Formats: sequence, structure tokens, C-alpha cells
Amino acid sequence: MTGALGLLRFMLRRERAGLPWWLLGATLLVLVQSTQSQNLYDTPEDLERLRRSIGGNTAVIAMSGPTRLLDSIGGEVVFEILGFVAIVVALMSMFLVGRHTRAEEETGRAELLRSARVGRQAPLAAALALAGLANLAVAVLVFAAAAGTGLPVAGSLLLGLAVAAVGITFAALTALAAQVFSNARAVYGAVALVLGAAYVLRAAGDVGDGGLSWASPIGWSQRTFPYTGDRWWPLLLAPVTSAVLVAAAVTLLGRRDFGAGLVPPRPGRPAASPALRNAYALAWRLQRGSLVGWAVGLGLLGVAYGSIGDTIEQYFRDNPEVAEFLPGGTADVVDAYLALTVGLSSLLAAAYGVATILRLRAEETSGRAEPVLATATGRGTWLAGHLSVALAGSTLVLLTFGLGEGLAYGMTVADAGQVPRLAAVALAYLPAVWLIVALVVLALGWAPRVSAALAWVAVGYCAVVALFAESFGLPGWVQRASPFAHTPQVPLEDLSLTPLLVVGLVAAAFTAAGYAGLRRRDIGY
Amino acid sequence: MATPTAPAISINALSKSFGATRALDGLDLTVATGEVHGFLGPNGSGKTTTIRVLLGLLRPDAGEVRMLGGDPGRDAVALHRRLAYVPGDVTLWPGITGGEVIDLLGRMRGGLDRRRRDELLERFDLDPGKKARTYSKGNRQKVALIAALAADAELLLLDEPTSGLDPLMESVFQQCIQEVKRQGRTVLLSSHILAEAEALCDRVSIIRLGRTVESGTLGELRHLTRTSISVETAERLTGIEALPGVYDVVVEDHHARFDVDTAQLDAVVRRLAPLGVRSLTSTPPTLEELFLRHYGDEQVAS
Repeated sequence: MTGALGLLRFMLRRERAGLPWWLLGATLLVLVQSTQSQNLYDTPEDLERLRRSIGGNTAVIAMSGPTRLLDSIGGEVVFEILGFVAIVVALMSMFLVGRHTRAEEETGRAELLRSARVGRQAPLAAALALAGLANLAVAVLVFAAAAGTGLPVAGSLLLGLAVAAVGITFAALTALAAQVFSNARAVYGAVALVLGAAYVLRAAGDVGDGGLSWASPIGWSQRTFPYTGDRWWPLLLAPVTSAVLVAAAVTLLGRRDFGAGLVPPRPGRPAASPALRNAYALAWRLQRGSLVGWAVGLGLLGVAYGSIGDTIEQYFRDNPEVAEFLPGGTADVVDAYLALTVGLSSLLAAAYGVATILRLRAEETSGRAEPVLATATGRGTWLAGHLSVALAGSTLVLLTFGLGEGLAYGMTVADAGQVPRLAAVALAYLPAVWLIVALVVLALGWAPRVSAALAWVAVGYCAVVALFAESFGLPGWVQRASPFAHTPQVPLEDLSLTPLLVVGLVAAAFTAAGYAGLRRRDIGY
Repeated sequence: MATPTAPAISINALSKSFGATRALDGLDLTVATGEVHGFLGPNGSGKTTTIRVLLGLLRPDAGEVRMLGGDPGRDAVALHRRLAYVPGDVTLWPGITGGEVIDLLGRMRGGLDRRRRDELLERFDLDPGKKARTYSKGNRQKVALIAALAADAELLLLDEPTSGLDPLMESVFQQCIQEVKRQGRTVLLSSHILAEAEALCDRVSIIRLGRTVESGTLGELRHLTRTSISVETAERLTGIEALPGVYDVVVEDHHARFDVDTAQLDAVVRRLAPLGVRSLTSTPPTLEELFLRHYGDEQVAS
């Protein structure tokens, strides 16, 4: 443990530019949701109407949380926002711990530190302390945002702690994953998979009898029922789980060699396969693992969403009076649900596309682009290699989502035609996804240093517009800036080709402009 | 030696800045076809920046750059088919094996000699089946070297290619460069290992703060510096210290040690001859001394 305190100070210094944005993001979500909800549902009658309309809407429950939260206005805020804040905080904790443990070891920087008076466990301890401090800050800020907008103090405190509990659990999980896998990418992949599973489990639990929600750290937090039950004891689940995870991590850390994971590296091919012959093949080789992961993940998400599609239909058939709240009756309810879920998955496909095309920048700054560009590979070919993965890959992940959702929904309603139908529906969202990728290409050409930040801000912006435009009451022009807002919400709306064509043309223009910038600038700076 | 045709590389008054930092400040460099040219300078003097300009990765602010009869910025792809490059700091893709990297880079350049590749793997004692993640710095360097040497390139751009290699591998590398030289290919060898440059290079350019301070054959450069003389004479040695171009004189009766500007060597020897020379050793300046003379003041200042 020697040197942990010094390391912690160093880590705080390195995080001073990034960490405030995570904290701000989590705080703003609560602040805006609380303000908007209290404006929209300011009378008990409004809240009652909301409760009746949401009560059986499986899609909304699957997206948000248990309906018991809707008993008070504070609970309504928690219902809408806690799941998303939990994801933000979990990702923050994952990156904090991963970046300062396995990523440092992988790059060899940790070796330099460990050669000083720094104990074996010090980096892990300091990284966990860093995540602990960050989550403490989240708890304080969320409490302040909730209590400051007039919600009850006790519930606000519980909400703040419930959010931080998710963060701490995922920090501890990352600590364990960082011992198991020998590279940071695999660590993030594994933790993100568990996070996705946690969200899906609580969705399934909340739609069903609630049992499955207890298998999810997000579910634990929602089941503290801030403002509607103020149940404190589920908060204990996070520290207990975290202690077990950290103990396992420390045990593994004590047994493994520096730089090694639990799985020893296997030897590979001594000579390249005939296919590995150009920049395209290299880009696909480098990114195939993550593509398979995303495709499987989105396919499973599609199956999860598709399998509850018919319960919505069933509910509205049983309760026709509820359907009156919705325009268009029961047929449209299912289509609205399908449009909503496909729209959501297209945001994930955009995130995939962005992560994929940003690989260009990582190749450049790590120096790996240099030997490639010193061969007879031009900058255009180099760009095209990774762009082909981003475009074709995002098509593939959206398609697997559509196929998964179509398959699951088609099976529940005994209609095989749903498979091609929903696959086609998913593809309608593709131009908007490609536009985000093209925007990143533009940034890579003209503002490479800030390209990663710009790229993720763009994805975050589209996500906020898509998920919260109505509940936050965002003005029209803010919504129209997102390419997803110009995508017809099929299957709810009719497919019209003009906006898709325009979005596609803008994407092509951005790509061409980005290439022009890439041609004229310095590589590696 | 035949008169050289067009030079393989000719750089004229090249400048390049990164923000407020001036990396290259009017650099000149001429590398004749078929020669091994040493490109010497301390860390941060602009060697890597120059090579990156030659590769078309950086756009120069000012100056003229020609390589293999083309413009490295405009004709990058065509020129790259004819050259091979070894970066100073080799980073590889962690999940890809050394063998795969060698093949891939070779194919992207336009083909590689399979037999030569295997022979080089043998000589450099590299296991091509290991993932790059598990390679040490020296092994990563070997991957880049083998990829470059297995290519049938007219021009080799080597940026401190032996950093991280052990002495055994260093000698294998020197043999390989000798072979390349015999085949009439051109090498630009950036280095700060002077013994290596002395062993391999026909001509050297010394750069400092982004500018060329000396350029020529080792013989020419030696001419610009001092030779150490140790001499024993029949008659007593007097007045040596008064001669122009003589420094650091230590005289003990019939024995003297001193340094002399190589340009003045002839005059000094003429002066010694009448005294009856019994023994004389003359040590030519090493590149080390050349180097230290150019950078000595800088080293002291820092």
C-alpha cells in the first residue's frame, strides 16, 4: 500500500479535466428532470393520470423502472432518470478504475511507478479511492440537485447514495476485471457487458414480478424507492458486493505477475494469412473482435425488447380505456414501442460507429499509423479502411438488432414476416448513424486533437435529444440539430426517402471534407 | 567511384514548426545514391521530424525536399513502394504476431522476399509466432528491421534502428547494412551511436537545433578537428606550444603530448622532423570527439 496516497493525488491531477464533466452530466440529468417533472405534473391529478397511462406501458417500465416510484412527484423523477444516471456513474467508475490500473500496466507506465517506493497494491487501492471520492461527489451533487429543486431532503439523500452505490459496485467490478484480463479493452468490454446485463435484468424484473431486478445493482438502487418508500437497507447490498469483488481482485493481484492476466497469452500465427494484405484487411482484423461483441450485444437487446412487444398489445386489448390516452389506438401502440426501441438501438449503433472510426486517431497518436503510411498505403486508403468498418459495422449491428427484435416479436405473435419487416425498419435509421460517423471523419480531418471529445459530445447530444427532448422541454431547433430527429420514426410513421437522402448526402459531404483535411495536415500531431 | 547521379535525397533550407517550437530551422541534407549516410544529432535535434517529412507524414513550412526524384508530399504512395522505413520507437498492434506484421507491411509496400524474410528471422533470432503484446522493446525493433530489410527497397530510412538491440544483434544489423551497401542501395541512418556510424557510413551530416552544422565524409570532418600526437625526439622539445593550432601541450624533456588542428598537422610534423623523431603516435579524432566538440557547450549549458 506504500505510496497509495501520493498516487491518488497524481490520479486526481490527471483526472481534473475529465472527471468534472462526468459529475456535471450526472447532476444535470437529475436537475433538469426534477425541474421538468415538477412543472409537468404539478397537481396530484396530473400525477394520477400519468400513473394510469404508464401503469401498463411495458415499454416505458422496461426503459425506466418499477411503477411503485410513481406514487409521488419525487418518485416520478427517480422513475424517469435513475436508470440513466446509474449508467453514467457506472461508466465513470469503470473508466476511472480501468484507466489507472490495467491501462497503466498495459502501456508500461505503471512499471515506472512500481519501481519507485510504491507497493504492489497501491495503484489498485488509489484507483478505488479515486472512484470512491468521485462517487461521493456524485452523491453530494445529486442530493444538492434534488433537494435544491424542492424535493424532500431524506429522499434526496437516499437518491444520492443510491446513485453512488451503483458507481461503487461497478468500480469494484472493474477492479476485478482488471486482474482477469491483460488488456484494458477487454476489461471495458467485460464491465460494459455486465452493465448492459444489469440494465436488461432490471427491465425484465420491473416488467415481471420484480425478482430479476434483485440480480441487478441498478435494480437495488431503484428498489430503495426514494420519496415513495425511503427504504434504506438495499443500500447495503452495494458495499457488501463491492467488498467481495475487491477481495477477489486483491487475491488475484497477489498471485499474478506484473502485466499478466489470468489467461496466459496464446501464441499466434508465425506468418500472416494471405487475406491480411492491405489497409482494409488490417482495419477489419483490428476491429473484428469489437464488432462481434457489439453485434451480439445489440442482437440480444433486440431479442429482449422484441419479446415484450406483445405484452403491450395484450395490455391495451385488456384495458381499452387506457388506450384512449394514446393517439391511434392499440395497433399504433406497438409500432410506437418498436420505433422507440429501434431509435434507441440506432444511438448505440452510432456509439459503435464513433468508437470504430476514432480508432484512426488512436492508431495515429500511438505511432502505429506511421509504419502503415510509410508503405504504399495512402492516407485515403488508410481512412477508407477504418471507415469501411465503421459504416458496414454499424449497418451490421443495427441489422442484428432488427433481426433479433423481429425474431422475438415475430415468435410471440406468430408472424414470421416480422423478421424482414423489423430488419428493414432498423435500416431506416442508418443514414443518421452514418452522419454521426461522417461528422467524426470531418473532425479527424480538421480538428484531430478534439475529435474524440467532439465525437462523444455529438453522440451524447443525440441521446439527450432522443430520450429527453419532451420531458426536458427542449426547444425545436435543439431537437432538429440531431440527425435522428429527421429520421422518420418507422414503423410508427411512414417511410419517406427525402429526409434520409438529405441526411445521407450531408454525411457524404462531411466525409469528403474530412478527407480533404486529412490530406493536408500533419500525421501524428 | 563513379560520379553520383541525382542524389537520392536532397533537402534545402527545410523548416518546420509545431506551434511555438521550431523543430527544423533551415536544414540541408544531401544523400547520394548508393551511399550509407549517417544522420547524427542529439535527442530533439530534428532527426525524426526530417524523416517524417521525407515520408510525407509532415507538411513542411518552407524549403525544398526531393527524394528518389519525386516530391515526398505529393508522390508519397509511389515513392513508398521504393523505400523501407524503420521508426525509432516501434509500436505494434498488441494482438497481432510479429510474423504477421512483417508480412503485412511487406505486402502493403508491394511484396516481400519470403526466403529473405525467413533468413532474417533466423539471423535476428526472432520468434514470429508471438503476439506483439509480449515482445520486449528490442524484439519490436527487430520486427520493424526485418520488415524493412526483407523488402527490395532502393532506399532505407532508418531512425535510430538499433535502440534496444543487444550487442550481438547490433553486429547482425551492421552486417545487414554492409550487404545492403554492396547491393548499391541507399541508406539514411539516423543515430546517436557513433561507433555504429563510424563503422557503416560513407558520409555523415551532423545536425543541431534543426540545422545542419557539418556534412561530409568522416575524413573531411576529421580534417576540421584535432589530432592527438604523442612524440619522443632526440633533441629537447621547445617552442611547440607557440605553434599555431597546437593545444593542451604537456612537455617532459624529450617527450611531448599535444592536440593539433588537423589542418596544421603538416606544419607541426615538419617542425618536429629536424629534432630527430624516435617515436610518434597520432590518434585521429573519433566521431565521439567531433560530436562532443559540436555539442559540448550545449551539454555544459544544460
